[in-house]
Amino acid sequence: MYLLVLFIPLLSAIVSGLFGRKIGERGAGVFTSSSIVISWVISMLIFYETNINTSPTYIKLWRWFDSELLITYFGLQFDALTGIMLVVVTSVSALVHIYSTGYMSGDPHIPRFMSYLSLFTFFMIVLVTSDNYVQLFIGWEGVGLCSYLLINFWLTRIQANKAAIKAMLVNRVGDIGLVLGMFAIFKEFGSLEFSTIFSAVNEVSHPNSIALICILLLIGAVGKSAQLGLHTWLPDAMEGPTPVSALIHAATMVTAGVFLIIRSGPLFESSSLALTVTTIVGALTALFGATVGLVQNDLKKVIAYSTCSQLGYMVMVCGVSNYSTSLFHLMNHAFFKALLFLSAGSVIHALADEQDMRKMGGLIRTIPFTYVMILIGSLSLMGFPYLTGFYSKDLILELVYDKYYIAFAYWLGAFSALLTAFYSIRLIYLTFISNTNSKKEVLMNIHESSWNITLPLLLLALGSIFVGYMAREVVVGTILPPIIPSSIKLIPVVLSLLGATLAFLSYNTLSGFKVFLPKIRPQTVVNLFNPAIYTFLNSAWQFNYVINHFLVVKVWKFGHLISYRVIDRGLLEIIGPRGISNLIIGVSQKISNLQSGLVFNYALIMLMFTTLFISGSGASEFASQQWAYIMFS
Amino acid sequence: MYYEYFTVGTILFILGVIGIVLNRSNLIIMLMSIELMLLAISFLFLINSVVIDNLIGQVFTIIILTVAAAETSIGLAILVAYYRIRGTIAVKSLNLLRG
Repeated sequence: MYLLVLFIPLLSAIVSGLFGRKIGERGAGVFTSSSIVISWVISMLIFYETNINTSPTYIKLWRWFDSELLITYFGLQFDALTGIMLVVVTSVSALVHIYSTGYMSGDPHIPRFMSYLSLFTFFMIVLVTSDNYVQLFIGWEGVGLCSYLLINFWLTRIQANKAAIKAMLVNRVGDIGLVLGMFAIFKEFGSLEFSTIFSAVNEVSHPNSIALICILLLIGAVGKSAQLGLHTWLPDAMEGPTPVSALIHAATMVTAGVFLIIRSGPLFESSSLALTVTTIVGALTALFGATVGLVQNDLKKVIAYSTCSQLGYMVMVCGVSNYSTSLFHLMNHAFFKALLFLSAGSVIHALADEQDMRKMGGLIRTIPFTYVMILIGSLSLMGFPYLTGFYSKDLILELVYDKYYIAFAYWLGAFSALLTAFYSIRLIYLTFISNTNSKKEVLMNIHESSWNITLPLLLLALGSIFVGYMAREVVVGTILPPIIPSSIKLIPVVLSLLGATLAFLSYNTLSGFKVFLPKIRPQTVVNLFNPAIYTFLNSAWQFNYVINHFLVVKVWKFGHLISYRVIDRGLLEIIGPRGISNLIIGVSQKISNLQSGLVFNYALIMLMFTTLFISGSGASEFASQQWAYIMFS
Repeated sequence: MYYEYFTVGTILFILGVIGIVLNRSNLIIMLMSIELMLLAISFLFLINSVVIDNLIGQVFTIIILTVAAAETSIGLAILVAYYRIRGTIAVKSLNLLRG
């Protein structure tokens, strides 16, 4: 059972990838979906074993590296954290598989797509089940690779190619951090297995080395989980098909970074510096994602930035040592974010692949089912009471409040909650409620999608409503909500509701005040906000521009001028092949010019060298005699 | 007395060498210079044979005379064959085989 949960997605990927031509498009869809559903059933059993029965399982498979100092086993570890992650990954992945059979119908490369999705799931399961950092790194790189393949699925589009390369490269930056962190761990502990490391964490002589390890691991998590600084790949990853976005942003890829922090929790506990940095990074990311999400006009990008923001919450609460709360939010977020993405896919599907929210509107009458789904997802995201998001998000904000350090994380988080509510309602209003802006021929053809698109939505909606309440005891049962004033306890909900009301009012009642819409017609539309602020937020705080201008272009020019032209084609060529060959050619030309073809020159040269030879032999004899005289006298 | 003869022989040899090295016009002069060098060598052999009172120098001289005659005849034959082809025997024009 424990090996099957790994093996079945791999089998599904191999069969669909290598024999997709044999089993056909429908066959590939049915086979991969049913494989992942079986994997989900198994992971539910594992969840029952590990979390309900609290009996972790450790399996050592075989010895992998064996080099005296470093012995790494290929081993599996199924504890409470792995059990929860497995359920999250396989359930969302199974629903995404089923959804993809409907959403991608008509695409000529369905077997390849399903194969990539299954491979992604496989690598994610490898990541969460490993019992050492090396094996975790297989999964870590594997999901990066699969994200490349999936973002680049429509490989004829240049934007998709660029986005995929960007995702790969920005992730590599973080991966370097993880690798360096692994080196530092090996240097400090002499092992890379979790059990060894975490039992020896108090034995470390030098406190700074733990801080270094944690910061490096945090850099890894920043790259994978799209925290501030290395987040720029995440919005661009929207170039992939919508189910891919749901898989990457909801359940799998971005959660890997948070998972790494949660897994390395004992290490982080030993370094207050690393915890502080973690909280600051998380809080800033939460604020950043929320502010940028306010003004995006692309339906998927709004949800992408909201993912960024929610990941900020998760990292932030890791920084105040509440890892299980972070895991709880990760789990809940997987459900409602998958629901949001898949609903957005349903909207896009219905509107003939239109992603711009400014060209939507009025869909509440034509596709009410999707409206209800996206409303549930958004309310859950806003932390509306008694929905899934409420249980984790409010808990996070309460836990962050009044920590003895960095009090500002709470206010950033609370303000982000207001903004989250605002852009969620903005999304719903512009897409469903406001008057339509789409073309008539598009509007005439809008209809709800087939069952294999709506069924996953329904299941995810149920998850978004009930998971938070049901899983609360299992995941964060041991954490008591802190005792803080009721007024503070109410703040996040009040702020969320305030944000939602503000958004609705500003788009509905004050229809003249098109807040956070660009000035389409300056005469009629009054924009409450300065266009400069709007542009600043719309371009995501100009991160792309700054990074490109000050980093990428500089490195690029350095690579061309210094590495390529000065060193590679310059110095190395001159003292290397070209210089030496030029020297030899010139010298041999000069020497061969001595052979002029004229007889008297030959005679002269012969004479000269005969003379030199005779006198030289005489001189050397003389010198050797002198030498012997000096030596032996 | 020996040194004078030795000097004359050496000077003759050097004149022959100079005749080859500085000569740019005529192939016959070159041959004649070679003859002069051989003559100088023969002369030195003879002198040394007399001085050290040994007969082998004179034997060598006779052999050198034979070799010189043969060499000259072959050289002249080459010269004639060359003249038939090229129509000139200037040493300057003997530069077809450059390095």
